[in-house]
Amino acid sequence: MNVNSTSAGNGGEGTPARESGRPRVRPVTPRASIDSALPDAGDEIAPEKRARVWPLALATLVVVGLLAASLFIGVYDITDGDLGAEMMWITRVPRTVALMLAGAAMAASGLVMQMLTQNRFVDATTSGTTEWASLGLLLTAIVAPSVGLVGRMVVSSLFAFIGAMAFMLILRRIVIRSTLVVPLIGIMLGAVISALTTFLAVQFNLLQMVGTWFMGSFTSVVRGRYEVLWIVAIVTLLVFLLADRITVAGLGREVATSVGMRYETILIAGTALVAVAAGVTTVVVGFLPFLGLVVPNVVATLRGDNVRSNLPWVCLGGIALVTVCDIIGRTIRMPFEIPVSMVLGMVGAVVFITILMRGRSRA
Amino acid sequence: MTLRTSRKPRLLGLAAIAASAALVLSACSSSPAEDAEAKPEAGSTVSITDNYGTVDVPVNPKTVVALDNHVFETLTEWDVKLAAAPKGIMGSVWPGYTDNEDVVDIGSHREPNLEAIVAAQPDLIIAGYRFGDSYEDIKKQNPDSVVIDIAPREGEDLMTELKRGNTILGQIFDHEDEAEATNEKLDDAIAGAKKAYNGTDTVMAVNTSGGKIGYLAPGVGRSVGPVFGALGLVPALEVEGASSDHQGDDISVEAIAASNPEWIIALDRDASFAPEEREEGSAPAAELIAGSEALKNVPAVTKGNIIYLDANFYLTEDIHAYTELFEQIQAAFAAA
Repeated sequence: MNVNSTSAGNGGEGTPARESGRPRVRPVTPRASIDSALPDAGDEIAPEKRARVWPLALATLVVVGLLAASLFIGVYDITDGDLGAEMMWITRVPRTVALMLAGAAMAASGLVMQMLTQNRFVDATTSGTTEWASLGLLLTAIVAPSVGLVGRMVVSSLFAFIGAMAFMLILRRIVIRSTLVVPLIGIMLGAVISALTTFLAVQFNLLQMVGTWFMGSFTSVVRGRYEVLWIVAIVTLLVFLLADRITVAGLGREVATSVGMRYETILIAGTALVAVAAGVTTVVVGFLPFLGLVVPNVVATLRGDNVRSNLPWVCLGGIALVTVCDIIGRTIRMPFEIPVSMVLGMVGAVVFITILMRGRSRA
Repeated sequence: MTLRTSRKPRLLGLAAIAASAALVLSACSSSPAEDAEAKPEAGSTVSITDNYGTVDVPVNPKTVVALDNHVFETLTEWDVKLAAAPKGIMGSVWPGYTDNEDVVDIGSHREPNLEAIVAAQPDLIIAGYRFGDSYEDIKKQNPDSVVIDIAPREGEDLMTELKRGNTILGQIFDHEDEAEATNEKLDDAIAGAKKAYNGTDTVMAVNTSGGKIGYLAPGVGRSVGPVFGALGLVPALEVEGASSDHQGDDISVEAIAASNPEWIIALDRDASFAPEEREEGSAPAAELIAGSEALKNVPAVTKGNIIYLDANFYLTEDIHAYTELFEQIQAAFAAA
C-alpha cells in the first residue's frame, strides 16, 4: 500500500516535471506526501532527549585516551634523548591531529550527506564524491603538475562538488528512491568516474602513483605535510553552525520550505562542505572508506536523527574509529604499517552489512 | 534465366577456388626456396634453454618482437631492429625504438595489443617479465614464431639470471663475445663494490612514490633487494615476511630513524615518468629522505650517504643498469 502510493505519486510527478523542464516548482503537494511516506523519513526521528552531560563527557574521555595512545604508539623511542622528544612533535602530534581532523570531518560530512539525501547509506564514498575528488587530483597532476598543494586541493574539492551535485541531481530525477537504490546509484556513478581516472592514469603512466596516492594512510603525515588539513576543521565547525538547518532540510524540501527555510541554499552549502572535506582529505590522506557511513549510522541508531545533538557524537565516533584503525594498522606489522584505509575498509564493510541486515529485518 | 543466374556464381566460385589453389600452391613452392636461400646466411638455429625449456631459435632472426624490458638496452647496443615493442612501458630510455615509427607499439602490459604481434609475423618473440601473464596467449596466437622467455626467474639469484639472459641473447644475435664482456663487467662491478664496502655499515633500501616511502626488503625487495645479497650488505632493518611487490612495505620516517641506517639506497619510482614536470605531492626521494626532519640525525643523512638510483632504473632493471648501480655504490662507498 505504502509502496504503491509512493511509486505512483512519483511517477505522476516525474512526467510533467520533465515536460515542463522545470522540475522544482511544480509538484509541491505530491512531494510532501511522498516524503512522509518514505519509510526512513518518519520513524527514525526521535524526539530530542534531554541527555545528561556525563555520557558525552565519558565518550570524550575515551577518545582523549585513544588520542593519547596514538601519541605514544610508534616505532621510535620517544624517551630516547633530544631527538626522541622532538620526534613527538615531528611525527606523533601531527599524525594524531590529522587523525582527529580527518575523522571528525569525514564522519560529520557523512552525516550531512545522509540528511540531505534522506538516505542512511550515503556518504562521500558511496555517492561517488571521493572518486570525483581523485579525478580532479589526477587531472592536476596531468594538466598542471606544478600547481602545488593548495591548487590541487581547490581543484579536487571543485570536482568533488561537481560530483556531489551531479549525484543530487540524478537523485531528483530517479523515480524509485528506495533505501538501497540511492547508494547503488552513487556507487555506480563512482565506478564510472574511477574507471575514467584509471583510464587516464594508464594513459599517462601514472597508475602506480595514483594507487599509492589514494590509499588512505597516515604514514606520511609529518610536520609540514599535513597542516592544510586544518581546513577541514573549519568545515566541521560550519557543519555545527548549520546543524539545525540541516536537520530541517533532512525532513524534505516541502517541510523545509514551509518553515521558511531556503532549502536550495542549505542543500548547496551542505554539499559544498562535504566536497571540501572530501577533496582536502583525499589530497592529504587518501580514501577513508565507510567512515562517513558507519559512524553517523551507529549514532543515529542509538540516538535518533537530530543533527545538532548528534554531531558531537558523530565527530567523536569518527575520531575514535579512525584512530583505532590507525593504531591497529601501525601495530600489527610493526615496524611496517598497514594503510588505515585497509583496516577501515574491513571494519566498515562488516558494520555496513550489519546495518543492511538490520534495516532489512526491520522493514 | 533462373538456371543461368544460378550457374554463373557456381562457375565464378569454381574459378575462385582454382585461382586461390594456384595461389596457395605458388606460395608453398616459393617459401621453401626463400628459406633455403636465407638460412645459410643466417647460420641456421641455436638451441637455448629458456624459462620454459629448450627452444630452437634462428640465429639473427629477421623479424624480432621484444616485450621484456631487460633486453632493450642490449639490443640497442647490437643494433637489432625490432618490429614491435611495448612503447607504453619503455619511458624515454630507448628513443631508437620508441621514436621509430616502424616499430609497432604493443602498448603496456596492462592493456597489451597482442594482435600487433601477430600482424608483425615475427620470427622471434622475446616475451616474459611484465608480459609474463600473456605468455600462453602469445604462444597460441603466433604458432609460426619462436617465443622465448628469458626474464630473471623468481627465487633464483638475480645476478646469475641476468647473465644467463644476456648470454642467451648473445647466442641468438651472434654477439657472444660482447655478451661475455658485459657479464664480466657486472662481475667486476660487484667485486669492486664488495671491496669498497667496509662490511659493517648498515644499509636500508627504500622506494618513494606519491610522497610515501616504501621499505624494500633485502633479497626479495624490488630492484634494490638483490643488491644486499650480491654485496653482503648488513641490513639496517630486517623483518620476516616483508613484501616483494613493487610498492614495498609502508614504512614511517620514525621506523627508518629508529633503525638508524649508515646508508640509504633509494629508488624514486615516480622519477622515470615525466621527470621534468614532476608532481609536487610525489616529492622526489631527495626531499622525502634528506629533507625529512625525522631523519636529520640518521648517519645516512648527516654524512650524505644516500645513493639514489638512476631515474630510469625502474624501467630498465637490466644487466647494464645493475652494473652501473654497483659502480655507483662502489664510488659512494669508496668516497665515504
